[in-house]
Amino acid sequence: MSDVAQITPTAPVAAENEGQSTVTMRILKTAWRSKAFQFGFWIFVILVVTSLILPLVSPVSATKMAIREKFLPPLFMGEGWSWIHPLGTDQLGRDMLMRCMVGLRYSLMIGIITVVLMFIVGCGLGLLAGFKGKWWDTIIMRITDAQLSLPMIILAITILGISKPSVASIIVVLGLSGWPLYARVARSAAVTEREKEYVRGLRVVGAGDWRILLLYAAPNILPPIAFVAVLDIARMMIFESILGFLGLGIQPPTPSFGSIIADARKYLINAWWIATSPGVFLAVALTAINLMGASLEKARNTVYAGAR
Amino acid sequence: MIFVEFLIKRILQGLVIVAITSFVIFTLLRVIPGDPVRLIVGGMAPDNVVEEVAAKMGLRDPILVQYGRYMGNLVTGDMGQSYLRPKSGMIATGGEYVDPTKSDMAEVWDLILERVPLTLQLAATALVFALLVSLPIGIAGGLRSEGWPARIAFGIQSLFVSIPNFWLAIILILFLSVKWHLIPALGYKGFAYVILPAIVLAVEISPFIIRTLTTSLAEVMQSYFIDEAKVRGLPRRRIVFGHALRNASVPLINLLGIQLSTLIGGVLVVEYIFDYPGLGHLTVVSVVGRDFPVIQGIAITISAVFVFINILVDLVAYMIDPRVEL
Repeated sequence: MSDVAQITPTAPVAAENEGQSTVTMRILKTAWRSKAFQFGFWIFVILVVTSLILPLVSPVSATKMAIREKFLPPLFMGEGWSWIHPLGTDQLGRDMLMRCMVGLRYSLMIGIITVVLMFIVGCGLGLLAGFKGKWWDTIIMRITDAQLSLPMIILAITILGISKPSVASIIVVLGLSGWPLYARVARSAAVTEREKEYVRGLRVVGAGDWRILLLYAAPNILPPIAFVAVLDIARMMIFESILGFLGLGIQPPTPSFGSIIADARKYLINAWWIATSPGVFLAVALTAINLMGASLEKARNTVYAGAR
Repeated sequence: MIFVEFLIKRILQGLVIVAITSFVIFTLLRVIPGDPVRLIVGGMAPDNVVEEVAAKMGLRDPILVQYGRYMGNLVTGDMGQSYLRPKSGMIATGGEYVDPTKSDMAEVWDLILERVPLTLQLAATALVFALLVSLPIGIAGGLRSEGWPARIAFGIQSLFVSIPNFWLAIILILFLSVKWHLIPALGYKGFAYVILPAIVLAVEISPFIIRTLTTSLAEVMQSYFIDEAKVRGLPRRRIVFGHALRNASVPLINLLGIQLSTLIGGVLVVEYIFDYPGLGHLTVVSVVGRDFPVIQGIAITISAVFVFINILVDLVAYMIDPRVEL
């Protein structure tokens, strides 16, 4: 959570309106120059593309059971392996590669949608609080404080454990845990932005609060926060897989990393690959995202330090 | 005097937070579908029996009335009794009829107290492991923020933060415990059973420590008083360990407050996987069994611990660096 908390919300000197796009570009370019970012980026692209395309073109299904082909080991890893199931099959003869691919799809989808929602809701409320001030500020920030001091994991487990989890409810529960930090960061950025010359100028010209906020201030404030939000995608994906592991995520037969690994515990000694491969896929995807996110954050800090 | 004022203010704020948390959990438990009475009396019981038991337990009163009654009891130190766990310690199995209104059910408070030391032991061991790994890496990375130590710190941090804790736990159990019989896992029969879960937790915590330490140490090393210490001719060892680290440790202590919810989440999952009989394990089992009084009790306990540690964090940060505002 500190990822967002550590943002220095002061916009760089150069970042007054038309200068902003160049700052964003500079950050992207600086990040692109680091090997860590490129490494993460290409792994990420490969994973996304294969997880989207492979299940469409392959004749092998992720959910079709074939009891006679159960517990087939991965390539070269023991008796009975075949090219049709490069990562082996599970206790019901389902293809592990396809299950991982579909699991990755859901994991990425939930992670990205959750972070986008968190970002919109959190930053929206934060901007409003910071820009409008007065009772907007008081009410929104008190809600934020209250939310931040609730142990979210208990809330999440309670909500999902007692109701029946669905993709929508998982996204809502995950999003609940993250938006307050965005609200805080966006608020403090908005408070500084409000006092800036160009905002006052716009006021003099007669632009209303909403117009200034949406058309001028938001484009200045949001990109730096968005760079760091990349790291949160990984956090949300882990959170989702934990929920799945506890049986509170996407429900079977739809494969999800957490539930596959939870089921595979029973077969750990004889069929280790069922629990291993989803974890490897998840860890590789997360490493890719974290490398990109951390490099972007670093690049942003360098660019901003240079602008000061 | 600032001290006392601060304490009073924070404790009052804390009480409000605990009250809010308990109310939110209390309401959620009753609003979200899933009737504990069904589980208690068993699926075959006729509806009128369900209603009878529910009424007897007070579960059909308005939520505010129930909450008022609960808080009234809580003030006197009574968290109620578990719906599922009899005093003997055995969990009633599904369908077996146990009358939860009888007095032979376990007190929630006892259930929690029994497990707190185990959870604390796990958390403390994990913290020690995490510090053992991340202090050297973090310090090296912070002192040479352009060289290879910083790159190693960056790599380890990105890798560790990407390993799902439950998966690592399973892999460690498979190799270290099941295949090679090096360290015991699953259950609790002595300190050896803490090691594996603590390693998993340490891997989860250390990226945050490494990251904060590298950034704050690199920053501190840029400041004037470090230059001044060099001019004064202090040996590098003393500059780093006597001055820089002390200043760099304030963000580290604040981090503990911020990351506490992550830590609690991690403890919960890890305890569940290792079948380690702490608070986290109790939470998961209670949610699955809809054991309302236990869930409420744990939520209140955890938010109280949360508040307490955050106050403690601010106090320690103040003692290290009195410029920090209380």
